[in-house]
Amino acid sequence: MASLSNSVKLKYIKLGYQYLVNHILTVFLIPILMGFLIKILSLGPDQIYEIGSALHFDLLQFLGFSLMIIFFATVYFMSKPRSVYLVDYACFKPPASYRVPHATLVEHLRLSNKDNPEIVEFQRRIIQRSGLGDETCLAPANLYIPPTPSLEASRAEAELILFSVIDDLLKKTGTKTKDIDILIVNCSIVSPTPSLSAMVINKYKLRSNIKSFNLSGMGCSASLISIDLARELLQVHPNSCAIVVSTEITTPNYYSGNERSMVLTNCLFRMGGAAILLSNKKADRSRSKYQLLHLVRTHKGADDKAYRCIHEQEDTQGIQGVSLSKDLMLIAGEALKSNITTIGPLVLPASEQLLFLFTLIGQKILKLKWKPYIPDFKQAFEHFCIHAGGRGVIDELQKKLQLSDKDVEASRMTLHRFGNTSSSSIWYEMNYIESKGRMKKGDRIWQIAFGSGFKCNSAVWKCNRTITTPTDGPWLDCIDRYPVSISQVLDL
Amino acid sequence: MVSSDHLNLVYDIKLSSVGPGHVTGSDVVHEPSNMDLAMKLHYLRGVYFFSSEAVQGLTVYRIKEPMFTWLNHYYRTCGRFRRSNSGRPLIKCNDCGVRIIEAKCDKTIDEWLEMKDSSLTKLLVSNHIVGPELPFSPLVFLQVTSFKCGGMSLGLSWAHVLGDAFSASDFINMWGQAMANQLPQHPVDLPKSFSMLVKPANRSQLATDPLSIKRVDPVGDNWITANNCKMEPFSFHITATQLTQLQAKISGHKATPPFECLCTIFWQSIARVCSRHEPEIVTVCKNERGSRRTGTLSNSAQIISTVKADFSVKEAKPKDVAALLVEHAVDERGLIESAVERDGGVSDFIIYGANLTFVNLEEASFYGLELNGQKPVHVSYLIDGIGDEGVVLVAPPGPKDSGKDSSEGKIVTVILPEDQVMELKSELKREWSIA
Repeated sequence: MASLSNSVKLKYIKLGYQYLVNHILTVFLIPILMGFLIKILSLGPDQIYEIGSALHFDLLQFLGFSLMIIFFATVYFMSKPRSVYLVDYACFKPPASYRVPHATLVEHLRLSNKDNPEIVEFQRRIIQRSGLGDETCLAPANLYIPPTPSLEASRAEAELILFSVIDDLLKKTGTKTKDIDILIVNCSIVSPTPSLSAMVINKYKLRSNIKSFNLSGMGCSASLISIDLARELLQVHPNSCAIVVSTEITTPNYYSGNERSMVLTNCLFRMGGAAILLSNKKADRSRSKYQLLHLVRTHKGADDKAYRCIHEQEDTQGIQGVSLSKDLMLIAGEALKSNITTIGPLVLPASEQLLFLFTLIGQKILKLKWKPYIPDFKQAFEHFCIHAGGRGVIDELQKKLQLSDKDVEASRMTLHRFGNTSSSSIWYEMNYIESKGRMKKGDRIWQIAFGSGFKCNSAVWKCNRTITTPTDGPWLDCIDRYPVSISQVLDL
Repeated sequence: MVSSDHLNLVYDIKLSSVGPGHVTGSDVVHEPSNMDLAMKLHYLRGVYFFSSEAVQGLTVYRIKEPMFTWLNHYYRTCGRFRRSNSGRPLIKCNDCGVRIIEAKCDKTIDEWLEMKDSSLTKLLVSNHIVGPELPFSPLVFLQVTSFKCGGMSLGLSWAHVLGDAFSASDFINMWGQAMANQLPQHPVDLPKSFSMLVKPANRSQLATDPLSIKRVDPVGDNWITANNCKMEPFSFHITATQLTQLQAKISGHKATPPFECLCTIFWQSIARVCSRHEPEIVTVCKNERGSRRTGTLSNSAQIISTVKADFSVKEAKPKDVAALLVEHAVDERGLIESAVERDGGVSDFIIYGANLTFVNLEEASFYGLELNGQKPVHVSYLIDGIGDEGVVLVAPPGPKDSGKDSSEGKIVTVILPEDQVMELKSELKREWSIA
């Protein structure tokens, strides 16, 4: 009983503290204003007139003063960065014929790796614990025994995904192809000539003066890098809109070798893609879903271990694949810490920042044995979209940021339904939250993506208008089945 | 064995899998019935030949895509076997899928059919068996072979434990409907069982096995029996006119049904050529029309009966043998099921070929599989994993052969030990003018 009342008291103290610190200006100003008002009211109207005439206002001074105010206001508004709005986005829904049930994948691995039952058994154990469901999809080349990747098959997959999401996006937003000013496509592994962005321009007959970019090799965090690039371009080009397309082509990704550090891609990476329409036009403000508040990029590539953490290489038999280091979680944690150090002051309320500062001072300067204070990010954000890199990544981040199961639900369920779709996974997660009807006006969303390099990129969005449950999208036919409880170890 | 010249006839083999588009669910199992388990060592190998008009514009993707919707109805065929604690096999419906084989052939369909070599059928349909690893053995293989003329053959390799030839035929015909976007709206109501009911073995009954089955040495998880001699298949096309003549020759004024006529002819002929012993018991398998539900897979809607002759068949009058077949067939399904149940479904049996077996496939809608509105030009079916006594299949003819009167011709496929083949062919030609 005593402890319960104590914890309730503590909660109220904490709430009171937060309210006081976060609204400190209001807390100080109100008494001053009240005092001022009372003083004025206590004087009679004649005395007010006397005070007013004593101030000796003369026309020239008055004009000069007003002009100065207008001048400073103009400078302020001109130098303010242009607001970037996310009008809408579309996610790729793979057809049912691309489905890869766990049982099929394990059977195919056995048949393709007859000489190496140990590596097959290792992959089977990963699949059992991966957190992926039975509906994730891969391109048809991967359903052959053994898989038959080819440039033609990769292009076919790219065409399917890119054209499908862009068609969707153009239809949803009513955008005409001649109005697209900027096009950014990111796909890490597959980068043919001509580029994927050229493929899009060819298909949709985009303008010859379009500003197009194709980002490759930038890993799972490339979507936010593309958004950042779009944002920078939208600062320079007024009244423009940009389409960002993020995908990862799965056709060439099958690793047929025996290195344990390189088989994770077979077990986790799946088909997916997303297209996002960004705009800086005033007219788009009212119809946009979100506004971009902050985008923070952290690169730990200067550290050798971080650089080699996710490394594409040939194994001892000359078979190419992507190797994941055992230190991945540790490095991800470090990168996240770096990123939070920058983003924290931008988003956290003053109360959290002060607490963090006090704990930091206590730890480092006064050398007191205090635990490092983890700021409560739930005060800064209503929704979290953590890149669905794998079960381990989501668990680790949930622990580090002290998030509840509901906060990471979007990430876990995206991993279950779609697998690790690389750069586009944060958009599936966003769509999950919308499909559940949880996105309200004013909600702040934090997208965190990790990727090879090693990079940690964050984007902060603010919801512009309450979003009604979508009548299309990848979650439409299955949202009612979610959330599902995912067992620790699947029975295959 | 296929000769070395023929080994390269079919090439560029690619393997892949196709499963249901929808998730069946976790922990869905199907328990095969006793009748299913009695048939588990048998396999059906069917080949459908299509002309180039029928398959115009059909790419591999266009062939595979409707399969995902089709298999939503038949998720059971996409599962894999496991054994329960008692050792009784059951199917875990884990959507693993059916295996697809893509192949090419440098002959035209007509050239292939001209060759009239039933043993070459092996190249167009997989000779898979269930095992040696049950959890990783597909139950159905589909082989799509493209021919030089643009035609195509579809080889269906079907584990008999799933269902009889009528079920297999309905199964593949529904794929044709899926190709034409004519699938029924809702999946057929196949009950999904979630529990693993283990019935205790009833060892109290000391009854003997029925005549129609033969208990074989335990095969473990490798579901095939070995034959003591090499079995060879060969086919006869009996036209409608020939059939009428044969009927007249056998029974005179009283009309014996065509199937029983053919059984009589082949029973007598085989009795005359068989050097080891005269088959005095035969097994007859027929469709039981009333008990078959559309779209379900079953082994229980095929009547399996035995006919025992107390007289010498090779010397008897054909009409006596025919009368025996028509009037004295004993349905042994109940006895078969008890025999399987006695050991809890763990023992291994064969039915086809335990005695000389006659299988009536007249009512199977083999030519019901249509692509682009066209029927196949030819369909052949064989049964694999049969016993040494041999099997005679009576199947419906192709669309080109329909008699001027209401009766149709038949395709009779005989699978016998190879040492009996030549003699049987000459006996049939001599006595019955069948060539």
